[in-house]
Amino acid sequence: MNIHSYEKVWLIAAMLLIVGFIATITYGSVALGITMVDDSEETIDPNALEEHERFGDLGVHQTDSDEYDVHVRAYQFNFEPGSSALGTHDPIVIPQGSEVTFYVTSPDVIHSFSLVGTNVNTMVVPGEISTMTAEFDEAREYGVVCNEYCGSGHHGMEGLVKVVPEDEFHLFSVADVDAPESIEAGEETELTATIDNDALQTEAATVTLEIGDEQFDTDVEVDAEASAEATFTVDTSDLDLEDADDLDWTVTVEADSPATLEDGSTSGTIDLETDEDDEEADDEDDEADDEDDDPNDDDESTGDDE
Amino acid sequence: MSSDAAALKDADSPPDESAIERYIGHDEFDPIGTLALIMVYFLILVLMWLFMYFVEFVGNEPTVVGMV
Amino acid sequence: MSAYIDQFPAEAKVIRSAFYTSFIALALGAAFGLIQTLHRTDIVRVIPSEMYYTVLTAHGVLLVVTFTIFFLVAIFTWAVTTSLDRGVEDIRFTWSWYVLMSLGTLFAAVAILAGFTDRTEMSADVLFTFYAPLQAHPIFYIGLVLFVIGTWLAGADWFRSWWAWKQENPDERIPLPTFMVLTTMIMWYLATLGVATSIIVFLIPWSLGLIDTVNPTLTRTLFWFWGHPVVYFWLMPAYMMWYVMLPKFSGGRLFSDPLARVVFVLFLLLSTPVGIHHQYLDPGIAEGFKFIAMTNTMFLLLPSLLTAFTVVASMEHGARQRGGEGYFGWLGALPWRDPVFAGMALAGLMFAAGGFSGMINAGMNINYLVHNSLWVPGHFHLTVGTAVALTFMAVSYHFIPQVTGRRLASKQIALFQVVLWFIGMTFMSNAMHRGGLLGMPRRTAEPEYDFPFETAIGTVGELNAQIALGGVLLTLSTVLFVANMLITALNDPADDLPSNTIPEPLSGSEDAPLVLDNLKLWTAIAVVLVIFAYSLPLGSIVERGGLFGPGGDAFPMFIEFVEGTVFGLTGDSVSSLVNSPLEWLRAMR
Repeated sequence: MNIHSYEKVWLIAAMLLIVGFIATITYGSVALGITMVDDSEETIDPNALEEHERFGDLGVHQTDSDEYDVHVRAYQFNFEPGSSALGTHDPIVIPQGSEVTFYVTSPDVIHSFSLVGTNVNTMVVPGEISTMTAEFDEAREYGVVCNEYCGSGHHGMEGLVKVVPEDEFHLFSVADVDAPESIEAGEETELTATIDNDALQTEAATVTLEIGDEQFDTDVEVDAEASAEATFTVDTSDLDLEDADDLDWTVTVEADSPATLEDGSTSGTIDLETDEDDEEADDEDDEADDEDDDPNDDDESTGDDE
Repeated sequence: MSSDAAALKDADSPPDESAIERYIGHDEFDPIGTLALIMVYFLILVLMWLFMYFVEFVGNEPTVVGMV
Repeated sequence: MSAYIDQFPAEAKVIRSAFYTSFIALALGAAFGLIQTLHRTDIVRVIPSEMYYTVLTAHGVLLVVTFTIFFLVAIFTWAVTTSLDRGVEDIRFTWSWYVLMSLGTLFAAVAILAGFTDRTEMSADVLFTFYAPLQAHPIFYIGLVLFVIGTWLAGADWFRSWWAWKQENPDERIPLPTFMVLTTMIMWYLATLGVATSIIVFLIPWSLGLIDTVNPTLTRTLFWFWGHPVVYFWLMPAYMMWYVMLPKFSGGRLFSDPLARVVFVLFLLLSTPVGIHHQYLDPGIAEGFKFIAMTNTMFLLLPSLLTAFTVVASMEHGARQRGGEGYFGWLGALPWRDPVFAGMALAGLMFAAGGFSGMINAGMNINYLVHNSLWVPGHFHLTVGTAVALTFMAVSYHFIPQVTGRRLASKQIALFQVVLWFIGMTFMSNAMHRGGLLGMPRRTAEPEYDFPFETAIGTVGELNAQIALGGVLLTLSTVLFVANMLITALNDPADDLPSNTIPEPLSGSEDAPLVLDNLKLWTAIAVVLVIFAYSLPLGSIVERGGLFGPGGDAFPMFIEFVEGTVFGLTGDSVSSLVNSPLEWLRAMR
């Protein structure tokens, strides 16, 4: 078999090309430390995700000073957490400069979990858990898409990852608010909020109570992975009650932080025992109700959030 | 050239044989144009590969890394 | 010296039917493609977005299964009969596989198209990849099986011809075109074992409700066991055309017969043990397996790179015989006004570009950048969508007159058509590649989200405009092609058709080592390579998730399951036996 010498030259060049490609990929794997999604996780029963230690507790969890785990359920046709565009779920919020490991699985069909414009991209297969660790050095938002066809609503499956400056990040939530069911107008009353801190370090939380048309702030220090109480004493005679027959309140932790999500605030209503009620007051009250409503909160009737 | 040319004529006549000006046999043919063309392709491949890997890919952070 | 229809009138009839079936699939597939391209770019939306996926399934299946493979069986039948210079052994057998393939296509098409109407529960909105737990109606899967069995019988038909020929010509080399057919078919038999197992053992019983769950990673891996070699199944007839016909239309001769054989042997060996490169981002598969698949894939570049040299050299031989001079000047001496030549050459040029994006796809970790993005359809519209499709259309301008005995309706329109395809695909594919790098997903009806895609150059609107423009030009090109073919089929008989011959290569088969023709040897090595590449990954997948998976439901479920049979395998983790060499290297560092 005779091969023309020019073709031999090309054969050598082609082999160099192939070896060069493999060498580049190996360089990325070894020197840059880029790892592949793999079989390091045990399989999971897709019909019993809530019984799993990770997927029974979705969301962002701190594991070390700058390390976080995010547990995400990708299902037809949302990410939980992540799909926040229509208010279905919270966005994923993580602090700048952190190393984040995503754990993603699916209870139904194959999806993907892909941060648009990045190299964070994985298939999500029912029965398997995809894990990916990446460092987020820039404070910005990333869109998340499902890039594997998953059914007729596939195109609507999107989410959001918000990387926020470290000082705006926290893992507080309002666990409970102890508020009276009813008081007499003009009386002094007390509301006590229980604030959970899921972070691995003690942090100070600013807790805000909005009641009537007034706002009160108080600072409370919460130990790592513990709770603390913030108490507000409100003299209703200071409030402009305008013949209202009830009083709406909202307790929010770190109200200005982008890391404050649905569990970061709780609302309720206190009945006011007044001498007279009239129709006009009712109407005004309804309007006020609409304005004060926290759009993220549909749990208005009681102070107990969880 | 002649024997090869005859063989080719025997074997087949391309659709527009009239366009053929000369018959070139195996031993007289050095595909220098092919070599030139394919080396240009080789250069494009190498440059594009380096661009795609080190600019488009490595610059597209964040990237999945091993757990430290 | 006569046309194919004069030499083999009975075979010409089967080949004609296969060509026509493939053209019908092309026309339908292109129509669906137009709907998609305008829908996804939000230019015209004639269907609700939920229906986009029915359109996409039809587009994919009709074009990459029906169009390509019916064309392949036509070409392969032509190649075997012409190069062995004998008709098929039994024309009834030949018709039987054609009928079986058609029946299979019909079944699958009915299931897919039923997705457009609410009158029936039937649907198959599962796309070309039919990943479980997305479920199609059972007749979709049954259709696919019938189709594949049809191709198996077609292969048997060609092997039978070769066997009969060999009895009469015991000392002769296998003619090159037949050699190409046989090696491609051995590759196909090996590869289809994956998809046949997936469908027959798991998906059909599951869709019939006989088993209630499947292991999604297992059926997906079995799909890609077949899903990568199938791209070479599309490509091999195009390669055959480049090796066998392109030199002829260039006015030259094939540069090297032995190297052509080496290339086809390499494809037989390396096409199958690479499928896991489609699963680089899958959980449940060890990184080491992915690395092995990448190494195999990278070496699979070799036969294509060799082909580039051999084919271009054959063209150069033609150009120099036509008076071409210089390092690059000879390119001008090529018969660019011949639609058959121009189409094939432009297809080859696009394959050079598609080859590059394929090299990126082959890379393991760089897959994070491009996986399932619009980059991927950008890539395969260059490869199967142009290298294969445009070559097929170009050679049709030669073959349809050959198998009908009729005059080509218009050579000018044919030339315009192949150039139009090239231009349309340049727009569409380039914009798709760029969109993919921005993170735009493939396979979506509305790539419009609450967040923006960040572009460094240009805008998303500009990319969409290019995709839509390209799509429209491609549709127009398809219309011209199909119309030209239709008029040719009804045209006057031609009495001056070129004779159906294949010119002798410059370096002939006498230079090829005998071992190249030892099909048993290559088959054995191919099987061993597949066992090496797949036994451990498949074992690990079954060990992790069981044969029938860790649970879950079908979507949508067509038939409630009759009985639940879930059993898994236990034992030591197979994958723990395979430590990734990368892990080791990282530890060293």
